[in-house]
Amino acid sequence: MLLETEGLTKQFGELTAVDEVNLQLQEGDSLSIIGPNGAGKSTTVNLITGLLNPTEGTVQYRGEDITGQEPHEIVQQGLSKSFQTASIFPDLTVERNAIVASLGAEHGSFSLNFFKRLAGYDEVAERARRTLEDMGLYEQRDIKAKSLPYGDKRRLEMALALASNPDLLFLDEPTAGMSPDETDDTVDLIERIKEERGVTIVLIEHDMEIIFRVSDRIAVLNRGAKIADGTPDEIRGDPDVQEAYLGGVEI
Amino acid sequence: MSEQTETATPAESTDTAGLLDRWDALRERESFSILGAIAFVIVFPMIFTNLPAYNGYMSLVELIYIWAIFAIGFDLLLGYTGLLSFGHAVFWGGSAYAAGLFSANIYGEPLLMVLVATVTAIVLALIIGVLSLRRGGIYFAILTLAFGQMMYFLALGPLGEITGGEDGFTGVTIEPLLGSIGLGREFAGILGTLLHDISYVLFAGFFVLAVAAAVRIVRSPYGAIFQAIAENEQRVRFLGLNVWRYKLVAFVLSGAFAGVAGGLHTIHAQYVAVGSLYWITSGDIVIITVLGGVGSIFGPVAGAMAFLYVENIVSGEIAFWLLVLGALFVTVVWLFPAGLWGIVDGIRSTVRGQLSGDDS
Repeated sequence: MLLETEGLTKQFGELTAVDEVNLQLQEGDSLSIIGPNGAGKSTTVNLITGLLNPTEGTVQYRGEDITGQEPHEIVQQGLSKSFQTASIFPDLTVERNAIVASLGAEHGSFSLNFFKRLAGYDEVAERARRTLEDMGLYEQRDIKAKSLPYGDKRRLEMALALASNPDLLFLDEPTAGMSPDETDDTVDLIERIKEERGVTIVLIEHDMEIIFRVSDRIAVLNRGAKIADGTPDEIRGDPDVQEAYLGGVEI
Repeated sequence: MSEQTETATPAESTDTAGLLDRWDALRERESFSILGAIAFVIVFPMIFTNLPAYNGYMSLVELIYIWAIFAIGFDLLLGYTGLLSFGHAVFWGGSAYAAGLFSANIYGEPLLMVLVATVTAIVLALIIGVLSLRRGGIYFAILTLAFGQMMYFLALGPLGEITGGEDGFTGVTIEPLLGSIGLGREFAGILGTLLHDISYVLFAGFFVLAVAAAVRIVRSPYGAIFQAIAENEQRVRFLGLNVWRYKLVAFVLSGAFAGVAGGLHTIHAQYVAVGSLYWITSGDIVIITVLGGVGSIFGPVAGAMAFLYVENIVSGEIAFWLLVLGALFVTVVWLFPAGLWGIVDGIRSTVRGQLSGDDS
């Protein structure tokens, strides 16, 4: 088992944002988490990736309890996250963005090398170059990240998340705000990441077309609780899901 | 578009382009900044002490280097890492007292005094950093301010027996450098013109060292990570980097620079004022750094020059010099958010653009 959550719960005061969610994920699985706005999808991911501490419940990664660890510790174990907004370093060049990500990947969470020249770190430069080439951003390496078109910013964001060669990648609405063309490219990219790198992907998404294209399994959240978990076909026919999520409309 | 480039033959413009490329490559070199700093300490006093009016004096030149060291370190924290500390007087004043006490009670050799001062500042920065960095933004600024004021009142009251309280510490005794070279010894001939005396070499030498150290830090992995933290802390965390520790290192490094400066200041003034721990000192270093331009090595140097010039020279001519300083600060920050160094940088890149014909 790659990832397993047990009774994962998060309360903000009186509000239960995530309510005893159990998720299991095998290596190579592609899971989508869906649900209406405020269903607790992002909060669930934040609990797993260490941005928030759960009120109750545990998260296990490769059989090891990672509940309550800091994000950087969790990332160092091979679990990475791409944000809903393009979370990049806008005033640094595209290359600098990739270099910072590569430093985290090559040298662990902390090292005391403030008197060594960055230019001498060949393996960091090499990893940054590979990451950018792989994402088709190498040509733009010298421009500031904020000057990239929106679609490229999201691609750079994903490049940052992938620089560490994670085994598990969370993608929070990767196509939000994208044009149909950009969306198509992104879905192709996600499929390529899955195949070429063997990354297990957990997708939070609204767009049903994308979900059915890339997911083997879908977990449905509603008001913080998991109400269904199964193959796309099973979810399509689930009356609970139709009632809660789609107000009874056929998918 | 300059006329020069318009009339240039293709061969000439290729030459210019080649030269400019070489110039750019040169500027990228670490040694360029260090050689620049060395050239600066030779040329600056010649100009500064010989202005047609309102000219400066050698002791002020040395004081500018001392504050510049303080400001360069402060900018590693403020400009590069994006953390505003409002309590850096602790490291400046604390290390100044440490150097003074060491000289009075143990040995007043200048290099040892600086060492003691630096170690003191590093220890203080570690403690205050651990306690303050748990909070971000305004809370961090207020926490550092509170620690700073605690130290001030500690020096004023409970520790008054040792620190001299309100009168400041007057027992500073400076020995010759390395035990044998008097700080006042003057050089003869050409060396005298360039380097003046031993005390000048001491202060200017530490200034050049501070520039070299800061350039190296900025170009190390830390420089990249500091800037990334300033821009998007959460993303850095999610790249697997321990943001908290990197911030602590930024804080301690800037404390160490303040410690070097504080120790040098004790040597320079042969006295430690209790005001060196007061919050106004913390404010001064913020103003100097912002005035000069954050996020660069030479910006803070420019800030220290402008600030100390107004404080020491203009104040002799105009009674309300603080008003002048305020007006200068507001004008610069308003019109040139990148500070005095931003103006220099802007002119340079305009000239650079003109020469290479980027706009054609």
